Amino acid sequence: MSHAIDIRDLHYRAGKAFEIRDLQLRVPTGSLYGFLGPNGSGKTTTVRLLLGLLRPLRGTILVLGADVASQIPRILARTGYVPEQPHLYPTLTVGEAQRFHAAFYPTWDWAWAGELAGQFGLDRDRRLAQLSKGEMGKLEMLLALAQRPELLVLDEPTDGLDPVVRRDVLAALLDYVSQHNATVFISSHLVHELERICDWVGVMDRGRLVAELPMQSFKNGIKRLRVVNPPALPGDTPFVVLAREANAGVETWTVRGWQGPMQAYFEGVGASLREVIDLDLEEGFVELLRTFREPAPPV
Amino acid sequence: MFRMILFTQWKWARAVVALGAVIAFALPVLSVGQFGREQASRWEVQAMLSSIQSWGVLYPVVAGLLALLIAVLTWSPDHRGRHVYALTLPVPRWHYVLGRFGAGALLLAAPVIALWAGALIAAAAASIPPGLQAYPTMLALRFSLAVLVAYALLFAVASATTRTAGYVLGVLAALILVEVLLSVADVNVHILGPALMRVFLWPGPLEIFTGRWMLIDV
Repeated sequence: MSHAIDIRDLHYRAGKAFEIRDLQLRVPTGSLYGFLGPNGSGKTTTVRLLLGLLRPLRGTILVLGADVASQIPRILARTGYVPEQPHLYPTLTVGEAQRFHAAFYPTWDWAWAGELAGQFGLDRDRRLAQLSKGEMGKLEMLLALAQRPELLVLDEPTDGLDPVVRRDVLAALLDYVSQHNATVFISSHLVHELERICDWVGVMDRGRLVAELPMQSFKNGIKRLRVVNPPALPGDTPFVVLAREANAGVETWTVRGWQGPMQAYFEGVGASLREVIDLDLEEGFVELLRTFREPAPPV
Repeated sequence: MFRMILFTQWKWARAVVALGAVIAFALPVLSVGQFGREQASRWEVQAMLSSIQSWGVLYPVVAGLLALLIAVLTWSPDHRGRHVYALTLPVPRWHYVLGRFGAGALLLAAPVIALWAGALIAAAAASIPPGLQAYPTMLALRFSLAVLVAYALLFAVASATTRTAGYVLGVLAALILVEVLLSVADVNVHILGPALMRVFLWPGPLEIFTGRWMLIDV
């Protein structure tokens, strides 16, 4: 499998308070990769490292097969970026902002830019300073898409947008991806949004990558089990026990890597499995972070 | 690409460029404005030279101010966006910086040309007595060099982060404060004087700003 983004042994430190340590992250080419994590977990820092805005202390970052340290203009020419905060020049009009952006990208598609502007309801003559947050979000997405990128790096692209604008922006994104087989790396803390559109997920917390796996495995793999007569020590389980909570003789186990045939384990230790509860991505995400922060499961 | 960089800078700085061009045009015209084509008496010649010399003080001031404003306006929108946009454009950084510098320098050509035009008109309109010469082209060249030198220095300072610019200004302020304190304490040590001499006297980088800026001279 080829990777649009391949980060190896990355180490970055921002002052004494925060660091990213030994980050290994691989985004399969053509995937929609959801980069999840709570605020301050290092998502935006990772995005900035990817785009060459920050320099790591050590490690390598390959984007679209090229090394960020030495070939960043080549990478940026093939990458569309939507930042967390609007970064365009507010004195320009929508039309001028497009002309400025297009001048730097030989692959810019004017016809599609016009189509997107119409679809988003963006007035060419309005100054950027007069745009609402939603309109600015649409313009940022338009600029990223109309340059026809192979990779889209989106940092909280829908944060603070109303549901209608969010739907428009994501629809345009999915439309582009389905037509061009582009890779999307989308950083967000809006778990439900990523659950709907992403096929891979990476979870970041406190500067570490906690998990990286296909979305389906992530969603299916984390379960809540109701166990009767549980063993005092779980022993050698075929799944990973993330948490245990006792409640009137029945314990609730939160586990990762669960598959149906594994219930034989409980018969082997004299316990019985009463119920298997599916968790949605948000619950799985919260459990994963809780385990990462308190690694020892309560007995 | 350069055309669009120039366009953005024009949008940000057009008011300053237009005002600078008007002032630059007006300076030489006003400096000889009251002296017509009639044969001037000796007293009038002295008065004219004195007037031109007085107005001449303003040329380096205008050059410095224009350079400062254009340098600041060149970088302020990028500073506001924390340079994220510029740094994510697919061009080498030196390429972008050179583009911004070139665009600013090109905009400064407008006041220089305006000053040249004003100087040519003023020289043609004034009654120049025998023994005196008008140097409109030299004055414009000198103005352009002063503007360019000041712009290059201020462009470098303005491109730095606010913190770095603060450090530069802080060091200057500290030097002035030390000089004042030493003078109050009656200590015969001068820091600023020798430093300024090195900067403003040949071969200092700002030597172009010193001396007499005369449209008409002997």
